[in-house]
Amino acid sequence: MSGALALQARGLKKAYRGVVAVESLDLDVEAGTVLGFLGPNGAGKTTVIRMLSTVLRPDAGRFSVAGVPQDQPVEIRRRVGVLPESAGYPPGQTGEEWLRFHAELFCRPRADARVTARRLLAEVGLAERGGSLISGYSRGMRQRLGIARALVNGPQVVFLDEPTLGLDPMGQFQVLELMTRIAGEHGVTVVLSTHLLAEVEQACDRVLILNRGRVVAQGTVAEVARRAAAPRRGLVRVPPELRSRALEVLAACEVGAVAADRDHRGELVLTVPAGAAPDKAASLALRRLLEEGVPVLGFTLEGGRLSDAFLTVTENADGRDR
Amino acid sequence: MAAIGDRPVGAGRRAWTVVAERELRDLWLAGRGLPLLLAYSVLLSVTSYLVAANQALNFLEQREAVSLTLQVAVAVGALLVLLGAADSVSGERERGTLESLLLSPAPRRALIIGKGIAAVSLWAAAWAVSVPYVWYLGRGVGVVGVAVASGLVVGSLLALFLVGYGLLVSTVLSSNRLSLSVSLFALLALYAPTQMPTAVQNSWIGDLLLRVDPFTAGLRYLGKLIINGHGPGQDAGWLIGPVLAAFVALAVALTVAGRLTLHGGAQT
Repeated sequence: MSGALALQARGLKKAYRGVVAVESLDLDVEAGTVLGFLGPNGAGKTTVIRMLSTVLRPDAGRFSVAGVPQDQPVEIRRRVGVLPESAGYPPGQTGEEWLRFHAELFCRPRADARVTARRLLAEVGLAERGGSLISGYSRGMRQRLGIARALVNGPQVVFLDEPTLGLDPMGQFQVLELMTRIAGEHGVTVVLSTHLLAEVEQACDRVLILNRGRVVAQGTVAEVARRAAAPRRGLVRVPPELRSRALEVLAACEVGAVAADRDHRGELVLTVPAGAAPDKAASLALRRLLEEGVPVLGFTLEGGRLSDAFLTVTENADGRDR
Repeated sequence: MAAIGDRPVGAGRRAWTVVAERELRDLWLAGRGLPLLLAYSVLLSVTSYLVAANQALNFLEQREAVSLTLQVAVAVGALLVLLGAADSVSGERERGTLESLLLSPAPRRALIIGKGIAAVSLWAAAWAVSVPYVWYLGRGVGVVGVAVASGLVVGSLLALFLVGYGLLVSTVLSSNRLSLSVSLFALLALYAPTQMPTAVQNSWIGDLLLRVDPFTAGLRYLGKLIINGHGPGQDAGWLIGPVLAAFVALAVALTVAGRLTLHGGAQT
């Protein structure tokens, strides 16, 4: 690590009435990073965010945020902004009133709070609706208002917990575009908890995958995809008239699941099971096809994707647990 | 957005004033404050009518009429405070807005104090509404001043007790419905000693129970001042219960408020 650490955690642990939510989490995130925080439902992502933002107290372990140790929770809260998962909004207040209130809670004078609220509303594209009651906001507007609230204190670290949950594609795009802009323009560290793997691939510098309270993969998006998800799918092209024969041969050599295309053009998809060496499986399959007199017109091994990595590491972890 | 590190330090108002202002606006401009006060006014109007205007039902001496109306005003006014306080934190929890508050650097106690002030404002408004009724019923017998002043003192003590109790319950319990149920059940329990047989009430244990219970003690004190015409200091012993209850409830509520958590229960 070369830069200053925005987040550091060692052995962080949290259990709810005996059920472990987070188990011995170690974390190092450099300042200015956009971290994709991934994991299946119940992996412990929200618990980690709540611990790092000092809303929940860990059972064990230690952490620091923006260089401030956990025993100074008020100072940490001054330096972080959080969009909580399923955040509620007071329906009887206007967006501007709500932001002003939160700005004042961060010790901003009344006039300054008003200026801050209006600036943030403009920044998240709600300048026109700042005077409207929140009850009239769409879900996407509420999420953008929540992001504005997370920025009300000029934070050094921003946690966005499922900011695109329940949004339509346009809403998802707007929120992620906003997040990317915030990270780029202001140089804050962003922790993005989401299920949208494609967006994480696009917007995040690094990724951390959590499963059952444990970190199962972390690194740059490319590293995680490469390390955890070596190519698992190969596309084999054979003459259309030999398609059925090729299916039989591949099924017999037991290198993985085989599926044929529906339009009978002679393309077969070979999926190597997790844990198997894909290059060996592919060479065996191709050798057997040629031995059985099925010419191979083309072969492509698909590159590893984050979604493959996600499935691989979470499946592997689940397998170990069983 | 402000630049990184651009954070005001102590430049704004104190957090409890910010929260209190927001809660007062929500309560009185957009919330339940006015409907509750309207219902309270209707109740006082009906009570006053029954004790004063309806000759067929009016079997009370004028001082007793003032005392009865004042006791209703104080008891129901305090109930309003309890309703407000019991909803304060658990309501935020249920609406999903508590986490945003907990993410601010404001001390937990400041959040609770601000909410408590809004709840107590219900009593202040109720007392203001009750003054004309007391004046109307008590005019001519020289008890209006005593009734208004003693009602304010006793009602304020009971309001402080109930705001502390309501905030405590609301802080600890995760469900708003549970918080309201527990609060109202406790209030009913506080009225229970008034239902004891007269013989029991006159025994030493009954007397102790009436004095310890802040509600019965406060209402007895009002009765002695208004009906019996005693001086304010003559029966001040009856105020020990309400004073102690208010002090203890507020102290416990503020202590627990320092460990306010997202899901209820006290954080250790």
